[in-house]
Amino acid sequence: MQTINVKVNGTTYQESVPIRMLLVDFIREVVGLTGTHVSCTYEGVCGACTIHLNGEAVKSCMLLAVQADGHEITTVEGLANDKELSPLQKAFNEQHGLQCGFCTAGVLMNMTEFLAKNPNPSDDEIRHGLIGNLCRCTGYVHIVNAVRAAAKSIAN
Amino acid sequence: MYPAHIESYYRPTTVAEALAAITRQPEGDSMFLAGGQSLMQAIKSRMVRPTSIVDLQSVAELRGIDQANGLRIGAMTRYVEIAEYEQFPAAYAALRDAAERVGDRQVRNRGTIGGSVCWNYVASCLPSVVLALNGTMSLASADGSIRDVKAKDFIIAPLETARREDEILLCVSWPKPPPKTGSAYKKWGLVTDALPVVGMCVSISLDDLGKCRTAQVAVAGLADGAQIADAGGAALIGSAGDEASISAAMNDVADSVETHSDHWADASYREQLIKRLGVEVTLRAFARARR
Repeated sequence: MQTINVKVNGTTYQESVPIRMLLVDFIREVVGLTGTHVSCTYEGVCGACTIHLNGEAVKSCMLLAVQADGHEITTVEGLANDKELSPLQKAFNEQHGLQCGFCTAGVLMNMTEFLAKNPNPSDDEIRHGLIGNLCRCTGYVHIVNAVRAAAKSIAN
Repeated sequence: MYPAHIESYYRPTTVAEALAAITRQPEGDSMFLAGGQSLMQAIKSRMVRPTSIVDLQSVAELRGIDQANGLRIGAMTRYVEIAEYEQFPAAYAALRDAAERVGDRQVRNRGTIGGSVCWNYVASCLPSVVLALNGTMSLASADGSIRDVKAKDFIIAPLETARREDEILLCVSWPKPPPKTGSAYKKWGLVTDALPVVGMCVSISLDDLGKCRTAQVAVAGLADGAQIADAGGAALIGSAGDEASISAAMNDVADSVETHSDHWADASYREQLIKRLGVEVTLRAFARARR
């Protein structure tokens, strides 16, 4: 066991965790935020567990929780400002950017950082940015529409 | 897929501390962790079961791209930093070609050049790039010594390099590029940016008449991992960069390496990929060398 201090969505958690615990399980089981999903049984291929580590999109099944010691994490629960959805979340709602919703948390986290770096993306760039997130409702058309709409709404 | 029990975790802040931490454990029990985009997969699948992990994330001296004296890329420099670095000279532009197409955004935000070349996965991009570009690997030991190893002596076989378990890769470096030199890399995988079924990296130097003076070709995705194709480098010498001579040279490459069949592609398809990708990247390397 090792004691770690991790700031999640602005709140610092000091917890003792087994070294082998994956960060996604720390977020879900220890912190209790279940918006971050496990879809591919920790194989690192689906992107549903994508979070922000110090502002950058990473798959939380690809890190040990102890690696996040001293760092800041944002999960999907941290995107909305109080009850006000982020522009990307609003766009996913308005553009029907989700169906079952299982992949959505990871897509939102990845595309939030993507838009911060690339505020005026082409559709090709959006699709290239989405490679690490699998949607099995075949919803990519609507996801791309939502990201494009969010970019426009942020620009205005 | 979940890690087995891990006894201890260290996060050193200097190379000396990292080397001290790795030598504290019995040989083979302790592993360096770079970006973790390969090693964590092996730990989760229990292909490797380190009892101790030495996490290199806080070793600042292992990070960054520096062109003060040639080109030096710290081992812990991430793909995203290489992909977004706009000042590579044409000679080393293949590094960016490869880094910007590794995996996906999330992988590029974590994975490192040092982790990739030290893991040397059978189907991976960076080992072939450091081979074609003739990079130098600097390895540090706990006794304070540093040894430099050329890429062709460092990359041995899939999952095997010249790095000893108690050595740390500091950086990959290159001299100031010779004039009129260009390089390029491209791969083909089953989906966009997937692991290379075949990847081709070519480095070209031109003489004053615009003819190829020296060339080095490396192939990624072979059964033996990334390999230098000497036949391709030799056949390109004297080429003026026309498609006919390049095409002939890439046919030599396809003939000289042993391609294999697996669930991704059969051997003859790999040969076609070597020829097609080889011509494309060689033309791009010529174009970059002329600039």
